[in-house]
Amino acid sequence: MSTVLVLSTTAPVSGQEPGDAQWESARDIVDRVDRLMRGESSLGTVTMDVVTEHWSRTMEMRIWSLGTDYALIRILAPRKDAGTATLRAGNDIWNYLPRVDRTIKIPTSLMGAAWMGSHFTNDDLVKESRMIEDYDITIAFDGPREGIEVWEFDLAPKPEAAVIWGGIRLEVRQHDLMPVWMRYYDERGDLVRTLTFSEYSRMGGRQVPALMEVLPEDKPGERTTVRYSDLEFDIGLDESFFSLRSLRTSPGR
Amino acid sequence: MSDRLRLLLRLAVRNIRTQTRRSILTGLAMVVGLGLLVMSRSMAEGGHEDWIEKGVRMGSGHVTLQAPGFAARRTLDYRLARDDLEAVRMALGDSSVAPAVHGYAVRLELAGLASSANAAVPVAIVAVEPERERRFSELPAKLVEGRYLVAEDGLHAFVGQQLLERLDLDVGSRLVLTAQDAEGEIAAQLVRVAGVFRSGVPETDQGVVHIPLSTARGWLRVEGSATSVAILLANSRAVGPATRRLERVLADRADRVAVLDWKEAMPALHAAVRLDDFADWVFHAITLAIVALAIVNTILMSVLHRTREFGVTRALGMSRADTGTQVMLEGLVLTSVSGLIGIGVGLGLTWLLFRNGLDFTFLFEQELEMAGVVFDPVIYPRFHVSQILWSLGFVFVIGVLSSLYPAYRATRIEVAEAMKFE
Amino acid sequence: MFRSPWWRIGWRNLGRNRRRTLFTTGGLALGFCAVVVMGGLNRGLIAEMIGNGTGILDGQLQVHDSEYLPERSLYETIGGREGTDVERLVAAVAADPFVSASTPRVFAGGLVSSGDGTVAAALIGIDPAREPAVSTILSTLDEGRLPLPGANELIVGREMARQLSFAAGDEAVLVAPAADGSMGNDLFTVAGVFDTGLAELDRGLALLPIGALQRLIALPESRIHEIAARVEDPWHAPEVAARLAGPIAGSETEAEVSAWTTFRPEMVSYATMAEGVEWMLLVIVFVIAIFGVANTMLMATFERRHEFALLLALGTTPGVIVRSVLAEAVVLSTVSLVAGAVITAPILVWWHLAPPDMSWLYGGTTLAGGLMRPILRVEYPWLMIVEAAVALFLTAVLAALYPAWRSARVPPADTLTGR
Repeated sequence: MSTVLVLSTTAPVSGQEPGDAQWESARDIVDRVDRLMRGESSLGTVTMDVVTEHWSRTMEMRIWSLGTDYALIRILAPRKDAGTATLRAGNDIWNYLPRVDRTIKIPTSLMGAAWMGSHFTNDDLVKESRMIEDYDITIAFDGPREGIEVWEFDLAPKPEAAVIWGGIRLEVRQHDLMPVWMRYYDERGDLVRTLTFSEYSRMGGRQVPALMEVLPEDKPGERTTVRYSDLEFDIGLDESFFSLRSLRTSPGR
Repeated sequence: MSDRLRLLLRLAVRNIRTQTRRSILTGLAMVVGLGLLVMSRSMAEGGHEDWIEKGVRMGSGHVTLQAPGFAARRTLDYRLARDDLEAVRMALGDSSVAPAVHGYAVRLELAGLASSANAAVPVAIVAVEPERERRFSELPAKLVEGRYLVAEDGLHAFVGQQLLERLDLDVGSRLVLTAQDAEGEIAAQLVRVAGVFRSGVPETDQGVVHIPLSTARGWLRVEGSATSVAILLANSRAVGPATRRLERVLADRADRVAVLDWKEAMPALHAAVRLDDFADWVFHAITLAIVALAIVNTILMSVLHRTREFGVTRALGMSRADTGTQVMLEGLVLTSVSGLIGIGVGLGLTWLLFRNGLDFTFLFEQELEMAGVVFDPVIYPRFHVSQILWSLGFVFVIGVLSSLYPAYRATRIEVAEAMKFE
Repeated sequence: MFRSPWWRIGWRNLGRNRRRTLFTTGGLALGFCAVVVMGGLNRGLIAEMIGNGTGILDGQLQVHDSEYLPERSLYETIGGREGTDVERLVAAVAADPFVSASTPRVFAGGLVSSGDGTVAAALIGIDPAREPAVSTILSTLDEGRLPLPGANELIVGREMARQLSFAAGDEAVLVAPAADGSMGNDLFTVAGVFDTGLAELDRGLALLPIGALQRLIALPESRIHEIAARVEDPWHAPEVAARLAGPIAGSETEAEVSAWTTFRPEMVSYATMAEGVEWMLLVIVFVIAIFGVANTMLMATFERRHEFALLLALGTTPGVIVRSVLAEAVVLSTVSLVAGAVITAPILVWWHLAPPDMSWLYGGTTLAGGLMRPILRVEYPWLMIVEAAVALFLTAVLAALYPAWRSARVPPADTLTGR
C-alpha cells in the first residue's frame, strides 16, 4: 500500500470473502493487506502519466518485483528513455542509462530527488517497510461511504520509526479489502499528498486497483498516474534476478 | 654605576626637567604611541584568540585527532576504532598532555540527507556526546528555540534554523536522516528536533545537524567508533607544544591516528589571523616611527641649543664620549619615562576594557563572517606578559635609535667653535 | 592674504633651522604616507574581497527572469517559456558604458559520475569564449584545458575531481532532470580541473559549454537562466542595474537586473566597516603627529621670542603675531604635503601595478564569502588622499595654535631686557 508497492506491485488482495475481516483488529487487517504480497514475485506492465506545471509526459514501463525489498523497473517508451532502468535492492538504488551504457548508484544526497520526473522520490522507492512495523494503526471510521462499507484507518508513526510522515489515513473497502485512498500528512496535520486507487479489476488471477494517482498538495494541478495494463504473480523470481547485471540486460525491451 | 655615569645621568635628567614643556610634548607623543601599542596589541590578541577559539569550537578544536585520510575522504571507512579511541583517551590523560587540555569532544561526522514530509536537504551530520559538546562547541549557546541535547537523549537532534525552515519543521517534529553506514549501505534514522540554533554562518545554519553519538553508532553500525576527537587547549599558544606531545604519546599509532592542529585543519582561519596581525603591526611600525621622529627632533634641537653649554663642559674636561653619553642618557630617560607612562596608560585602558570589552557594533550593519567565523563585535582584550616585554623592547629601541644621531652630533661639537656660539 | 609678507617670513623661518624643519616635515610626510598607503591597502583588500567575491563566478551584475530567484527553477528562463533572443539581450547588457562584458548562462542540478563514484553537482552552462571576460573561474584551471564550445566536455572543481578520481581526458556521465520531464544523460569528457580555493565551488560545481548543457536538459538555445556582466568598478553596478532595468524589462522580455550589492549584501557591510576603520587610522596617526609639530613650533617660536617682543613693542597687534605663526604652520604643512606626495606616489603606483606576494606570511582565506588571495594590491584611495591632506593641514594648524598664542603673549619689556 506504500508508494513502492504502487510501483512494484499493486496490492494483490485475493480470495477475500466480503465481511470476512470485520472482527479483526485494525492492525490485523492492514497486516493482511500488507503481507499478502510479501515474498511474492510479480511482473507488470504500467503506463505512467506525469503532469506538471511545465510539461506532461507518458512513460510505459515494465516492473519486476520481489516482496518489498527488490524491484527492477525498465522503461519501454517513449523512445528517448527506452531501456532506462532502475534497480532497487534493499536501500540502494541504481539507474542504468542505455544512452551512455552506464550504471549509476544514486548518492545519499539525491535520495530526495524526483524519480524519472514523477512525483515519487527516490526515497519513496526505498523508504518502505511493513506498515504494521512502523505505524500504530487504529480504525478511525467504520461504516458506509458513498454506498460502500469502508474502514478508514489512522496510521500514526511509532515513536522510533524512520518515517517522515506525521500520519497516514487509509480507506479500505470492507467487502474486498481494496484500498480507496491514502492521505499523507505532515506533523502539523497538513495534507502533503494523496494517493487514490480505482479501476479495480482482476489481473493475474487477483483483484487489484489498476489505476493509482498521486496528487502533491504543494503543487496544485500536478499529478502522476500509474495504470497497470497487465500483471502476473508468482513468476518464480528470486533475489539473484535483482542484480546489476539484470539491470543492464534484463529482458522486456 | 660609576660616579661619572651618575653625574651624566643627573645632568640628563636635569636638562629634561628644565625643558618641561618640550619634554612633556615629546613625552606625550610617546605616551600615545605606546599606550596605543599596548592597548591595541591586547585587543588584537584578545580578538584573535576569541576568533580562533570560536573557530576551533565551531570546527575541529585547537588540535584534532582523526584517522589519516579522513580529512580528505570524509567517509566512515576512515574512522577511529574503539581501541584507537581508547589510546586517544589514554594519551589525553598522559601527564605530559593532560594539564594543557581544557576539554575535548568525540565526534562522528558524515554527510547525509535530512528529510521531512515536505523536503529533503543534504546535511552534515555531527554525532556528539551531548555533555562534552555542550562545554566544547559554540553551537549550543546559539540556541534560539528548544534546548541542546542532553546525555539521556536518543532520538533527538539539534538543527540549524535555516534547515528547519527549509524542511518546514518545528521543535518536536520528526526528521529522518539518511546516510551510508559502515558497510556502505544506505540507512535511515528517525530523530526529533529538540532544539534550533542560529550561528550566523549560512553553511552551518543551512546544513548542520547534531545528534547523540550513541544514536549514530547504532544507526551506522560503528559501535565504539568515532571519526574525530577535537581537543580544546587553554589558548592558541599552547597548540605547538601540545601537538608535539600528542604526536609523541601516540607515536606507535601514527598509522591509525593523525594529529592535526587548527592551522592545518582551518587554513583560511589561520591566514585571516595572520593577515589581521600583519596589518596591526604595520600600523604600529608607522605610528612608532612618527613618534621616533618627534623624539629625534626634540633631542636634536636640545643639543643644538646647548652647543655653547657642551663647549663649556668639554672645555672643563668632559670627553666627547661623555657628551655623547649625556645626550644618549637624555634620550633614553625621556623615552623610558614617557614610554613607561604610555605602557601604564595602555594597561589602564586595557584593564578598563576587561569587564565590558570594546563594542564595535557601530561599525557593523550586519553579522560579518571571516574565514567561516562570525565576528563578535564586542572585543575583549587579552593580556600577556610578552606584550609588556615587546613594548619595553620598543621603548628601548626607539630610545636608542632616536638618541643616536643627536648624540653623534653632540660629540662632533668643537670646543672653539662652540664658544663662539651664542 | 597670499600677498601678505607673513608667508615669506614663515618660509624663511622654516629655512632658519633646516634640520628641524626636515624632521618635522619628515614626520608629517611619513604620517601622510602611512595613512594613504594603509588606506590604499585597505581599499585593496576591499577590492580583492569584492573583486573575487563577485568576480570568481557571480559577476557584478546579473539578469534573470523575475521569477527565477530565489528558487532557481529550471523553467524560469529569461523571457519565460518562449525564451528570448539571447544574442540581442547579451549585447543590450554589454552596451551600457560601464559594462565591459556580458555572457549567458544556464543552470541545472544533476549527477556527475565516474562509474565508480557519483556526486550531486551544480551544472553551469557557460560560453567558453565570453565567460573569461566576465568571471575568473576559467582562469583557475590548473589541469587540462577549457571545454570546447558545444562539445560534450566539462571541467570540474579540484575537490570533485579528487572524490571521483578524475584527471583530464577521463570520461564522465552527467545525469540531470530535463525540462521535458525526461532524465537527461550523456557521456562527457573531463577537459580540465579548476581550483578556485573556495570549497563549495571546488566540491560542487561542474562547468560545461552552454550548448551542451542545453542539449542535456532539453532546453532550446533561446532559453537561458542568467546573463552575468562585468562592471569594471563594482561600485557602479547598482547604478547600471537601475539603468538597465528600464530598457531590458521594457522589451518583450520581462527580466530583473540586480547588482552584487543586492545579492551579496554582506560584502557591502564589510566595506562600510573597513572604511570606518580608515577614519580611526587617520585620527590616531595625526593625533600623534600633533605633539611632534607642536613641540617643534614651540621651540621655533621660543627662539624668536625677542623678535616677537620687538614687534609687539613696535605696535604690532597680537593677532598679527598669531597669524604669522599660523602662516608658518601652513607653509610647513605645504612642504610636508609635497614631501609626502613625493614619497607616497611611487609606493602607491608600485604596489598597485606590482602587488607584493604575501604568501610567505599568510595563505588564501575568505572574507564575507569572498576569496582573499595572499597578495597585497593597493587601490588608489582618492578620497583618503584628500582627507589625509586636510588632516595634515589641520594637524599643523592645531599644533601651531598654542605656540602662536604663547608668542602673542610674550611680555615685550621683560623679554627684551633679557629677563
